[in-house]
Amino acid sequence: MKVHYYKFLMLFFFVCSISFAQGESISGTVTDDKGLPLPGVNVLIKNTNNGTQTDFDGNYTISASRGAVISFSYVGFETKDVVVAQNTTINIQLATSAAELEEVVVTAYGVSRRSNVTSAISTVGAQDLQDFVPSTSIDNILQGQAAGVQVTAANGRPGNTAFVQIRGVGSINASTTPLYVIDGVPVPITDNTLNNNFNPLGNLNPNDIESLSILKDAASASKYGSRGANGVVLITTKKGKKGDAKIKFISSYGFGERIPDSFDLMNAAQKLEIERQYAALGVGAAQSLPGATATTPEQRQAFIDLDTNWEDELLRKSVIQSNSLSISGAGDRLSYFFSLGYNKDTGIIDRIKGFERITARLNTTYQAKDWLSIDANVSFARSTTDLPRDRNNVQNPFRALYDYNPYDPLFSRDTDGSILLDSQGNPVYNPTTTFFPIALALQTEPENNRNFLILGNVGADLTLSEKFSNRFAVGLVSNRFNRTNRSIAGGVLQGFIGDANFPGTQTENFALDFEYNVSNLLSYNDTFNDLHNVSASFLLEYNENIRTDLFATARGFPSPNIPYLDVAAEATAAGSEEDRRILFSQALFVDYDFDGRYIASASVRRDGSSRFGPDNKYGTFVSGSLAWNIAKESFMDDSFFNDLRLRASYGTAGNQNIPNFQFLPVLGFNNTYNGQTTAVPLRAPNPAIQWESQAILDIGLEFAFLNNRISGVVDYFKKTSKDLLLNRPISFTVGDEDNAIFQNIGEVENSGFEITLNADVIRTENFLLSMGGNITLLDTKVNKLINSQDIVTGTFGNIILREGQDINSYYLVEYAGVNPANGAPQYIDLDGNVTETYNDSFQKIQEGKSPIAKYEGGFYTSVKYKGFGLRGDFVYRGGNYILNNQRQQGIAIGNINRNLRTEAFNYWRQPGDTNVLPSPLFQATADQGGTTRFLEKGDFIRLRTLTLDYNMPRKFLDVIKLESLRLFVTGQNIWTITDYNGDPEIGLGSAESGDQGNAGFVPGEFSLFSYPQTRSYTFGVEVGF
Amino acid sequence: MNNKIYIVVILFLSLGFFACDDELDNAQPFTEGNPDTFFNSPAAFQNGVDGIYRQLWLYYSNPNSGLQGIPDIVSDNVIQAQTGRRSNDDYHDLRYVASTLGPIPLYWSEAYEAVNVANLVIGQINNLNDGPEKDNILGQALAARAWAHFDLARIFGKIPTQSGDANGSLGAVYLKVEDGDTGDPFAQPARETVGSNYAEIIGDLERAKTLIDDDNGEGRLNKNGVNALLSRVYLYNGEYQKVIDAADAVSATLATAAQLPDVYIDKTNAGVVIELSINTTSESNGNNVGVLYSQSSSTATISEYVLDFDFFNSIDANDVRRDVLQFVGTNQGNDYNAIKKFLGEEGQVNGRVDVKVLRYAEVLLNKAEAQFELGQGAQALATLDELRNERFTSFTGGETGAALEDAIQFNRRVELACEGHRFFDLKRRGESISRNATRGDIIDGTGTAPEAPTLAAGDFRFQFPIPTAEINANPTIAGQQNPGY
Repeated sequence: MKVHYYKFLMLFFFVCSISFAQGESISGTVTDDKGLPLPGVNVLIKNTNNGTQTDFDGNYTISASRGAVISFSYVGFETKDVVVAQNTTINIQLATSAAELEEVVVTAYGVSRRSNVTSAISTVGAQDLQDFVPSTSIDNILQGQAAGVQVTAANGRPGNTAFVQIRGVGSINASTTPLYVIDGVPVPITDNTLNNNFNPLGNLNPNDIESLSILKDAASASKYGSRGANGVVLITTKKGKKGDAKIKFISSYGFGERIPDSFDLMNAAQKLEIERQYAALGVGAAQSLPGATATTPEQRQAFIDLDTNWEDELLRKSVIQSNSLSISGAGDRLSYFFSLGYNKDTGIIDRIKGFERITARLNTTYQAKDWLSIDANVSFARSTTDLPRDRNNVQNPFRALYDYNPYDPLFSRDTDGSILLDSQGNPVYNPTTTFFPIALALQTEPENNRNFLILGNVGADLTLSEKFSNRFAVGLVSNRFNRTNRSIAGGVLQGFIGDANFPGTQTENFALDFEYNVSNLLSYNDTFNDLHNVSASFLLEYNENIRTDLFATARGFPSPNIPYLDVAAEATAAGSEEDRRILFSQALFVDYDFDGRYIASASVRRDGSSRFGPDNKYGTFVSGSLAWNIAKESFMDDSFFNDLRLRASYGTAGNQNIPNFQFLPVLGFNNTYNGQTTAVPLRAPNPAIQWESQAILDIGLEFAFLNNRISGVVDYFKKTSKDLLLNRPISFTVGDEDNAIFQNIGEVENSGFEITLNADVIRTENFLLSMGGNITLLDTKVNKLINSQDIVTGTFGNIILREGQDINSYYLVEYAGVNPANGAPQYIDLDGNVTETYNDSFQKIQEGKSPIAKYEGGFYTSVKYKGFGLRGDFVYRGGNYILNNQRQQGIAIGNINRNLRTEAFNYWRQPGDTNVLPSPLFQATADQGGTTRFLEKGDFIRLRTLTLDYNMPRKFLDVIKLESLRLFVTGQNIWTITDYNGDPEIGLGSAESGDQGNAGFVPGEFSLFSYPQTRSYTFGVEVGF
Repeated sequence: MNNKIYIVVILFLSLGFFACDDELDNAQPFTEGNPDTFFNSPAAFQNGVDGIYRQLWLYYSNPNSGLQGIPDIVSDNVIQAQTGRRSNDDYHDLRYVASTLGPIPLYWSEAYEAVNVANLVIGQINNLNDGPEKDNILGQALAARAWAHFDLARIFGKIPTQSGDANGSLGAVYLKVEDGDTGDPFAQPARETVGSNYAEIIGDLERAKTLIDDDNGEGRLNKNGVNALLSRVYLYNGEYQKVIDAADAVSATLATAAQLPDVYIDKTNAGVVIELSINTTSESNGNNVGVLYSQSSSTATISEYVLDFDFFNSIDANDVRRDVLQFVGTNQGNDYNAIKKFLGEEGQVNGRVDVKVLRYAEVLLNKAEAQFELGQGAQALATLDELRNERFTSFTGGETGAALEDAIQFNRRVELACEGHRFFDLKRRGESISRNATRGDIIDGTGTAPEAPTLAAGDFRFQFPIPTAEINANPTIAGQQNPGY
């Protein structure tokens, strides 16, 4: 029967030997102690590799000879062994197990039973990941899944990563990204340099992930010392489970599109009309526009006939495609998990390719000796992306679709009004009034990025004695980055800036990010009097990150079809550089519990980092934590609580995530002058710079009752970040390149509550209704700043840090509406008076208003009826503010030569008009972006995923000879409630104006025209053999 | 046996790891130099000096905000073409405020970066042995430092001759390493007076004059350059005899009428005394300064700014500069008096050319103006005619009195048009900016007239505001913003 799969397997070019089981076919149903079917129970024939799992209805079928022992096991239940006798139907009821009930949690440098954990850890399992479009990066998937984790997508570009913050803004400018650790290997993420940013999370295959553990408090984050301050996300990839090889194939297909705007753009007739009105009012910039110059009805009609919806011309429906295959299993000594994945998301920009990724992984463990186990995980990922330019002008299609006038068609027209053709008969793209035909530029100015990521780790576990064990592991992360940036002869840019004698330019960038991590963990475990359990571990870890890069530029290409520098007439520039960072750590972890009821843990870790000067190289981080399993006390024996646990932790963690060598004065030779080498100081050095450190207090209560049908966690946290690192703006007179210096500037505090609740509301044989959700309430405050002096930051200087106020409060000029008498915009001056003048010096702090959400979280509802399931996951956020610069641009009077929002018609026309935009006669004072006029609440609720699926029952599966079959349809981002004027999910406003690594960058501060969020619909099938 | 393995493994690993502390201490940057040890030879010092020039070039050549063009865009030589990108319209329309991006923060930032490099070089100059090489390095650095401060002072402060109160009003912060002004990245210095700025500018230049070589190659300052700069600074400072003396010390020749067109396509450097150069081969991604005025493709010249109708039409048909300055640029069916000076090297339209900072023609005009101011009318006329002889096929000449003054100023305007002088010339003479409120941007004077036709003498906008970022980072200067902003 396995021959049926042969063709399928050939598709993936691998050969697989499969052992044929002998004997009779045994089948049956596995139920729990209440008689409800148990899906996913491991059914294994002892001493063989032959095994299966029960389906959704608890049914299984397995081949076994008479006399064989079948073992039924399931987390939370006692394992049951049955000897095969005459009967070919074996129905089994499993009893819940007190000991096994508890879930095992991946923790810092190990695993632990949930009841023994003294730390605030949220976990996200594989089933929570499966509903997302597979090109969604892991960090984006985390949104709304776990309390205390704030996720803001950088933008909507396929494969792009997110801004993740755990429990608020622990740091203002040093990175706030948590530490990601994949199977024990820390992943290097660089997100605070201008050109060398690196984030491999977009190249992980979500289907490879077994679980994510988010370490939020000091008790576990402190174990990662200098890198734990922003929290830690432990990613565990899948392992083979005991039993015969399981083959799983998932394929999905779908499409995505831009989420429609909540406002309208003008059409050609409207745009002509507003130009006419502006011109009639005497607005200079409108005088020469068609609305003013096309005075006859015929002329106007000619323009109206050209009415163009630029979104239709520049964007498209994206195609989202995904295939993945995994083979996993385990015998007595060897376990394996093998997977292949292919993902494609064309993105919604027409004329470029979008994102494509191929991944492969093999995870194995081998029990080489009784006392020695070795393991190796290795994965490869190759991805390519065509990158649009994230500019704040029409070189960015997402700005162009708002800017291009609707009477400008895609192709130029000749005097007869027909489409203009070039000498080759091809239509000529209309440069439009902006002179930049982005539709052509996307083709002639391509930028393509390619990444090849290798993640690997090998380890050896030695059981030295009953009490001592040791794990030695080497991990590596290596990413090869290539970028090809071209400007094709005859293209848009070449016409302007190209050299007529050397048509076409091309730049090749190459970068190799390489990080290796060598660690040794020696562990000791002992039990005294059967009550006192003690364990201790000693860790040594050496981590080095090396980045090298190389680039070359050449010009003069014979043909646009040969995109290699070899054929260029001459090379014009080249460069290479290298960068290293070393971290060396020693740590001691101690855990103690008394009878599983009273638990105490402590850790101390010393890190040395090359990022700091000689006097500040080393940092020591400590933590202590306690937990009390109240439910295990004898007085709780009759209570309805299944779990009740109180825990508290306090400790310190550090942050070293700033660029290298900020403590040293250095000279840069990066640029030439008139072809000659130049030597200029690169930065203002700060030899006194030192670790940012955090003290984190956490008090939590975990509970479960009514047979675990209702469970939850409540945590209070307070995180105080001292010696905050900030690339702080300094006086320009210092002459620094970015006019900022990395300095320990003060202290901030994040505090709040996290609540998680899950409930199986209805649980019957055929029907399951479960609901759950989480919320994080966050309060931020600046405690101390150097000399109590305010620090003004933000991309446009619209953010301020002031003692006693919220972190990153807005710093804006207060808008006082339009003067009904004359249509002039009014502002509040420093004395609190309303004035018609605008002055930057009127800026003042907007207390309690910042880009940081005050509450955030997610909730879900899941309904299962027989094989059908429907699950909706919502994410929500509120209490944050966004400076809506996108709207400012869409109604700016000075942008009359660009398309505008229809809202622009609503301007002041006569005395007494209220609730209107300023009169176009006041351009100078009205077109000011840094005012409260454009500050809007960012609250929203979004239906992140909605999935309908169907699991085929066993009786049909048996007929078609499949282990499992699941069909699903998923919609992502399909419904949003918000009052915000635009899409409220904003990370990057515009990479050109402010990107990670730019001084003053604050995620979510303002909106502009970065790649927008998309909504998508996919359908797929999951087949198990 | 297991215990033995355990001991061996643990010892091996631990010892190996403890050696890692050394690795930490030895980490050094790979592609960056140590400023304390790098400057140890004249060649290394010249790298530093070239770094100063580069910083100056950055703000002169910036395709969006370059000082090569903004002073014309803010004043009356050009008018905004409505079919352009409307770049710099906050400047052209005289709407700029402290938070306006572009030139205001660019000049304040880049000029101080130039000063910073200059002070680094000057501070380490004693690493070199005494002698002409050391003198030449020091002379270039001092002169470049003065130059950057001079730009700051004239952009953000008043010019001494502008009004009676100018010398007592606020100028720039003058930073000298030898006075201990540098080294503290957290410093929050105060602006000094215009009077003290000019004293220090002149002090640095006069000292540089005695040190610098006669020739340092293209794109670098030399003795002529320092003297030429002095002639300008003295003119701004109202020290007219010194203008004449400095001008006389410049041993250069005018670009002839025949050479003049080639000056702007970088075929010759005739008559160019100071320039900031670009090597268009190896720096093919460098700034294209001409984009300030226009971008050209094979099908159109997309002008941002075109010549003011009245101004262009006031240029005599006999004046060779008419053709050097203007060509007919066509865009969207409209013809414009497009600006020709920065289109590119021969055969190019990419706008990538050297920045002409100071030409010998200006030296002569500085001298003529100074002579006129000193009442030496005949000498002034002679100096002016020295220029006119190379610019006109024929001219009447012979002016005296106010007519002579007008002639000097008109020729100055024509000669230096679009090279970044006009705003400062109006400003230092206390004159108004007045654009014809009825003439438009198109070649025949139709089209859209200027949004802001005039800026009266004495208006606060003659001094650019200190950028908001400085105000925010430096509480001292926050209390010293220019009036009106």
